[in-house]
Amino acid sequence: MNQQKNPATDNAAHLRKGVLSGIRVLDFTWKTVGPWAPRLLTHYGAEVIHVERVNGWDDHRYNAQRSIVTDTPDANQVQGGKKLYAAPYFNTLHHGKLAVSLNTRSPEGLKLVERLITKCDAVVENFSAAVFPNWGLTWERIHELNPTIIYMSSSGFGHTGEWKGYRSFGPTAAAQSGLSLASGLPGQPPAGWGYSYLDVMGGWMGALALIQGLLKVKKTGKGMYIDYSVTEGAMSMVGTYMLDFQVNGRRTRRPDFPPGNRAIFPSLAPHNTYRCAGNDRVGQYWWVFIACETQAQFEALCALMGQPGLALDPKFATNEARVKHQDELDAIIGRWTRARRRYNIMQKCQAAGIVAAVVQSAEDRVEYDPQLHHREIFPIINHPELGDFPYEGYPVKMSRTPAFVHGRAPTLAEHNQYVYGELLGMDAAEIAGLRERGVI
Amino acid sequence: MSGVYEGLTVVELADRRNQWAGKLLSDGGARVIQIEPVNGSPGRWCGPFVKDKADPDSCLDYWWNNTGKQSVALDIERKPAQDLLRKLLARADIFLESTAPGTLAKLGLDYGAVAGNRALIYASLTDFGQDGPWRDLQMNDAAHLALGGQMSSTGYSDATVTPIGGQGHQAWHMGCAFVLHGITVALFDRMTSGEGQYIDVSIHDACAIGTEGAVPQWMYYGETMYRQTGMHAAPRRLPPLELPTADGMYVMAVNQAFNKRSWDALLNWMDEKGVTGELRDPKYQEESVRTAEYRQGTLIRDAIRRLIAASNGEECFHRAQASGISWAVIRAAEENYDIPHYKQRDYWRNVEHPQLGRAIPYPRGPFACDELQLEPRGRAPNLGEHTQQVLAHDLDLTAQEIAALTAVGAIK
Repeated sequence: MNQQKNPATDNAAHLRKGVLSGIRVLDFTWKTVGPWAPRLLTHYGAEVIHVERVNGWDDHRYNAQRSIVTDTPDANQVQGGKKLYAAPYFNTLHHGKLAVSLNTRSPEGLKLVERLITKCDAVVENFSAAVFPNWGLTWERIHELNPTIIYMSSSGFGHTGEWKGYRSFGPTAAAQSGLSLASGLPGQPPAGWGYSYLDVMGGWMGALALIQGLLKVKKTGKGMYIDYSVTEGAMSMVGTYMLDFQVNGRRTRRPDFPPGNRAIFPSLAPHNTYRCAGNDRVGQYWWVFIACETQAQFEALCALMGQPGLALDPKFATNEARVKHQDELDAIIGRWTRARRRYNIMQKCQAAGIVAAVVQSAEDRVEYDPQLHHREIFPIINHPELGDFPYEGYPVKMSRTPAFVHGRAPTLAEHNQYVYGELLGMDAAEIAGLRERGVI
Repeated sequence: MSGVYEGLTVVELADRRNQWAGKLLSDGGARVIQIEPVNGSPGRWCGPFVKDKADPDSCLDYWWNNTGKQSVALDIERKPAQDLLRKLLARADIFLESTAPGTLAKLGLDYGAVAGNRALIYASLTDFGQDGPWRDLQMNDAAHLALGGQMSSTGYSDATVTPIGGQGHQAWHMGCAFVLHGITVALFDRMTSGEGQYIDVSIHDACAIGTEGAVPQWMYYGETMYRQTGMHAAPRRLPPLELPTADGMYVMAVNQAFNKRSWDALLNWMDEKGVTGELRDPKYQEESVRTAEYRQGTLIRDAIRRLIAASNGEECFHRAQASGISWAVIRAAEENYDIPHYKQRDYWRNVEHPQLGRAIPYPRGPFACDELQLEPRGRAPNLGEHTQQVLAHDLDLTAQEIAALTAVGAIK
């Protein structure tokens, strides 16, 4: 009932219809956590203006040109002979946005920022705490310029407190919050979150703050400052462990935590990943996750493995016994899965009502996952220059006001004319002057 | 001052998937009425429990995910309870549910059946959404991290070791983030249109777009990511960044750039610990030289590893950060309670627990903002704590009617 087609459109954001049509966001974010938040508003039709510095660009455009950990940049990254204008992650993080260039080191550039603030409903940045005030943009000044604006700073530790100057990326916030320590095998170094969780979820929560802010402003007509600390957001995702410490004195820094892929609240067995036949393109083994949450599921698994007697063995007859002997049980299940194909195991277990899921890679999901295909989660969008190309979609299906995906990130300074000409009402000579003086 | 969801009434059908979303609605000031089975939400039975004694009113995971809610225990399998729920929905702003697709249609509680309340926002957060070939599969949080791609990117550099799904129900959290987007946008729309709508969010869909670089790397270059201990998965093997300290901690030594200020500070610190090696060679005064060495060589990386091995975790964190280097120390969640920074930011909220005879400090909520005011509004309810109140005051049932429903086991 909620299927939507994702219309192929150009980046003329001001022409789009959506719940947030008419909402304009000034976007000073870069790297990963920051850009996600305003990006998600584009799916509801908001116009997001991504600001990049003159004579430079967002690091992600050319695979982090200024990063010290990557290879030399390739400004002409090519897919099927066509220019992409942007590196993969830039095209993912910024699709549907507008882009302008602006020199915030010049007083004239800062004047333009102030003028843009008067035209926007929200301004977002993820610089360190001193940057905006150094530009003269304290909350008081922003609020004076535009009394109904939402200003959100997205940072690792927030803009007050003794750590306000500390820098952070997703993995930094995961480490500090307690999330990294909640992932891994007991007795081994923390496995952390290799996707990195907070670079992603940190941005999604930032988007929630922005939407909440827009709702509140619509009610009260009063602007607000949102001081979003990604680490504090992350701590509210491990609240159960904090309460366990407060009430029971149990720490997450203990020898049997984290428990790998096993379950402890509640303790269940089996509940683990098991190696299957084959391996991926870089030689990592293939795995399937299997869990039994009920006695009926366990009996069904024993039958499926051709070992119905296991369910009667006192070592495995109850969940409590299975938890006690789960090393042995995991070895038995692992021997059964080892020579079998992963999707075949998943299908057979699921047909018997058992929780089972293949550990899917990006290739598995993008190319073969029938559910994601059905739900159009990686929509293929046509663009005159890029041709047909897949994107990551937006996973909220709404019956009256559907969200949509626009396709393609903006090229460098692509919307200078629209923003400085149409929005700020400058004529061609004024814009040429700004360009000559290196302001845009 | 009032919260962003102040004045709204939410009816939440108890489930482990959606309860964190309901908590954030309650934290924002909404009145959240959780409808539970008479033997309690599954969220009350998972543990950990107070003193490890299983009891539906003592589950700490439930406490955390249900702050400020009201509990009404109704057996919605029974006709009279279905009628009560339908009446509640007739006057609610938001319905938040996570039943298997088709379940509520059988009970006469699907969107079509209750959309007579035209302002109602009906949000379903389910494993796979309302349609598709995998719609009816059996899942839990870890299964979602497997199928959604999180595990594939997380684990250890040793390719023979299992991929890892982290703890704490993060797949459900990801689904909750998106269902909250949908609900909040729908409220924004409703202020103008006066109309509610139906929202369908799939946890699998949410996880599938939540693997950072993995999907674009595959789409653009056909590259598969390697899992790497404690750090980002990447298409190439990278040297370790999660490094052990002298006091048994780990530091995440993420390096973005070595400008003059941070380089000088790093060298002074290395000198103190006697691990500088050849890095005082004048050629490394040139930023491009040290950047190239860091990217391609082992000298700087080895010196950093020795520096961290010779320093304590806290020392690494503060000295690096004071020099503009974004290293972090891997802390346990509970260790954050002692940190002055969060106290200075007024991060903790005392929530009274009469059962314990004291208050417990809870995390405030994800954002510091007076206008949104997201914070726990009180402890989680005991099972059925508000059944009488809601039936008598919201639905105008008489004491005799309530007694009759209790007698047949339809409510508690």
